[in-house]
Parts: sequence; C-alpha cells; structure tokens
Amino acid sequence: MSKPIIEARDLGIRFVRSRKRNLKLRDMIIHRGGRQPSADYFWPLRNVSFGIGQGEAVGVIGSNGTGKSTLLRLISGALVPDEGSVHCRGKVAPLLQLSAGFSGDLTGRENIYMVAGMHGMTRKQIRDKFDEIVAFSEIEKFIDTPVTHYSSGMKVRLGFSVVTQLGHPILLVDEALAVGDKRFRNKCYQKMESMLAEGRTLFLVSHNEGDLKRFCTRGLFLDAGKLEVDGTLDEALDAYNVVTGA
Amino acid sequence: MAVISRTLGKATGVGALWRNRQTLLTLVQRDLAVKYQRSVLGYFWSLIEPMGMAGIYYFVFGVLYNSGGKQVEGGAYPVFVVVGIFAWQWASSAMSESTRSLTSQASLITTMRVPREIFPVAKVVARFAEYAAGLPIIVVFALFYGASFSWTLLLLPVAILIQTALLVGISFILSSINVLMRDVDRFMRLAMRILFYAAPVVYPLSKVLNAESAPGWLKDLYMANPFVGIIQLHHSVWNSHELPGWPLFWYSTSISFALLFVGWALFRSLEARVLKEL
Repeated sequence: MSKPIIEARDLGIRFVRSRKRNLKLRDMIIHRGGRQPSADYFWPLRNVSFGIGQGEAVGVIGSNGTGKSTLLRLISGALVPDEGSVHCRGKVAPLLQLSAGFSGDLTGRENIYMVAGMHGMTRKQIRDKFDEIVAFSEIEKFIDTPVTHYSSGMKVRLGFSVVTQLGHPILLVDEALAVGDKRFRNKCYQKMESMLAEGRTLFLVSHNEGDLKRFCTRGLFLDAGKLEVDGTLDEALDAYNVVTGA
Repeated sequence: MAVISRTLGKATGVGALWRNRQTLLTLVQRDLAVKYQRSVLGYFWSLIEPMGMAGIYYFVFGVLYNSGGKQVEGGAYPVFVVVGIFAWQWASSAMSESTRSLTSQASLITTMRVPREIFPVAKVVARFAEYAAGLPIIVVFALFYGASFSWTLLLLPVAILIQTALLVGISFILSSINVLMRDVDRFMRLAMRILFYAAPVVYPLSKVLNAESAPGWLKDLYMANPFVGIIQLHHSVWNSHELPGWPLFWYSTSISFALLFVGWALFRSLEARVLKEL
C-alpha cells in the first residue's frame, strides 16, 4: 500500500473574528503561547484528517462558508495551518482563480511565459508546450494582444490551458469548470478526464452535482469546519442534501 | 520521498528559494517587462531618472554652493554624485517597492505554492538589474573625469554583496509588516527622503565628520546608519580618498548580515499571519 499523495492530519486553522487586532510589535514577534483569549478566534476548519491516494478523484461538498476554499488554500500551501499538518507528495497544479498572475500590460504570449515560468517551467519546456497551450485556449489570433483587451472568458481559457500543461500530479480545482461557454466547458471536461486517465489526482470543490458525479468517486462533506462524511460521493451528497433540506 | 514532502510542506528556507529560482527569475523578468511596457524609451528610463537627479545635485552642490574649493578630495564631483545617486537609487526603489511586494501580488501569492520570500527578493533583484544597467554610465563618467582605475575596482562586488544582504533583510521586514500594518507603506516616502540625506550620497562623509556645529551624539547617530559604510564603499571604488576605515566597513557589513538573518526570521515567524491577512 503506497502512501497517500495528499495527507491531512488533525488539520486546523483559526482566523481572528474581530477587526480589532492586537498589533503590538512585541506580540507579533512572540505571539506563540496561549495567553490570548480564545473568544476572539474562530476555526473555519478543525480536526480534519484524510488521506488521498494517487489517482483518486475526490469531490468536496459543503454549504457556503464551511471551509472548502480554506481547505484548498491549505492544500495548495497558500495558508499555513495552526494545528496539525497537510502534506502533498507531488507538485500541485492550482486551477483556482485562473486569471491570477496575468499582467494586463503584457501580451498573451508574454503572459504564457511568465505564468508557466512562475509555476516552475523552464523556457525550453514552455517553448515545447507553447503551441499546444495556444491551440487549446483558442486565442491564436490574439496571442500578441495585451491581456487587458481580452474578455474574461479568454483570460480563463488561457489560464486553464497553461495550468493544465504544467504536468503536475495533483490538480486542485475550485469552481473553475463553471466558467467559459458550453463548448469550451465540454473541452475542459475532456481534458480533465484525460488527465485523470493518466493517473493524476483530482481534488474538486463544487456545488454542481453534475460536475462532481462526472469526475469524482469519493466525496468529502464539510459542515461548520468539520469533516462530517468521508466516503463515496453518493454518501457525501446524501449528507449534504439532508443538511440543506433538498 | 519524506524529504520532498517535508520541504514542499514548509515551502520556505534557503534551499526552497534556490529550487524556485526559475520562479524568482520569471518574477524579475515580469517586473522589468511590465515596468517598461508601452514606453518608447524603455530601459533607458532606469538611466534617465538617476541622471536627472544627479544633474540637480550637481547644479546645487557643484555649481551654486561651490565656494571656490573642491567638493570632494581626490576626485571629481560629477563622478562622486553619479556613483552615489545610482547606488542610492537601487537602495531606495528596492526598499519602497518591496514594501508593497506582498500586498500588491496577493492574488498570486494565495494561489501559488512558492516560498513567499521570493516576492520581496525579486524586487531587490529587479532594482539591482537596473543598477547594473547603469554601471556603464559610471564608467563613462570615470573615464571622462580621469578617475583612477586601480585595485579599488575590486570593492564594487563587495559593496554590491553587502548592499544586497542589507536590502534583502530590510525588504523581508518591510514587506511582511506592511501586510499587518499598511502604515508602513505610507511612511516609506518620508523615510526614504530622510535616509537619502542621512547617508553620504551627494556630499562626502568628511563634511559630516568635520562639521563643528554638529554635536557628537548626532554624529554617532549618523554613523549608526549601515548605509553610510556601504555608500562610502561605492564612492571608494573610483576615489581612494573615500575608503571607509576598517571599523566602519566591519560595522556596516555585520549590521547588514545581521539584518538579513533577523529579517528572514521575522518574515518566517509572521508568515502564517501574513497569509491569513492577504
């Protein structure tokens, strides 16, 4: 039995509820320690443990504000947990906020090099994949136009094309599939399926039952920052429907 | 495998910074590309701006307040002011831009798994690239005014190394604290102006040390600024009269590297909180 590719142990993170933060320099440097009153904190996520094997497709379900996006940010490394740990044994391709990282003043071509480079691709790797990225995003005609003039759909298409070409084994997806027109969405679905067939691991956050059923076999149901169900997708969806009264 | 997961989980540290050098390089390229996009003169702006400033200070101190004597011993004032301004321009733009390096790139930082140190470091490196682009100008000035080309040229890489350490350390401190207290950014303009006159950028250090009207404690305070030794080192590359003594040299060096480590430690201890605030 190989080790899980994503492993969370007693994962928890807390945020400060009130705006009145304690900003004394002394406290910032030595802020560890339990002197602070706990009433000012809330835990968007706590005591969450799971292990995801390579090649699994996991859907995360939960009402708004139950910690789904926080969980994604913790896995992607963009947040540091206050309790427990989360480990990824492989690089993560984040399909979150797909147009993040584009500079409006630069052209599509320059932005492909910049965004792919920031995700760690070398210039040669990008050059090899360049045509594929452009072809998939269908913006051949505008590749030398500054991204400011792109429609939001074009930006998302370009972002999706770049991130899916990274070749990283773990895909984190946050509603990114809900964007783009129907035809491009279908193309993205096919791309996702082919990546899953290659043995990549998918971690999908969505409210869309159709998307979840299409890709995922396993479901995690989050409620009030707790992992309530970790089972098949149907089990997680049933629990979600009970809570939402559908 | 355990090593990989541990480092990826942490995503911080010197090794992580080195492994992500591709990302760092790309950030620097993007910074420069965005800055000079849609401008006709492009990279020349990184030369025009400090040259303009140097012209102003030459006019004020070299022409208006030139009371017959030489402003600088052992060299020409135009060389002195150009060297000082270029070195200072790197320092001040690196410090003020790195202050905003986390807040202005929040969407990137919250979606990517890279060591966060990369963002302030990239600002220091990008501004250094502009400084390096200006070095030929300094050489032209030195040739024109007949400055000596001697062993002191070897001090240039030393000065650059110490200045890099200091700037990176300061940028760690400023960028992380600015996320928690935006006051820092507001304060930077004033701070940069004060620091500009609080270092021997456009006037020689001897003027301060020989100023009889200045009380001793003020001179001590002045000498506490680690930029004093670094700027002196820059001047001394072309003018051996400006060589800093060993005490000043070691003082600036040790403060710079101490700030590098303190800044890094602060950055890492604030990291979790900073990420929540972005």
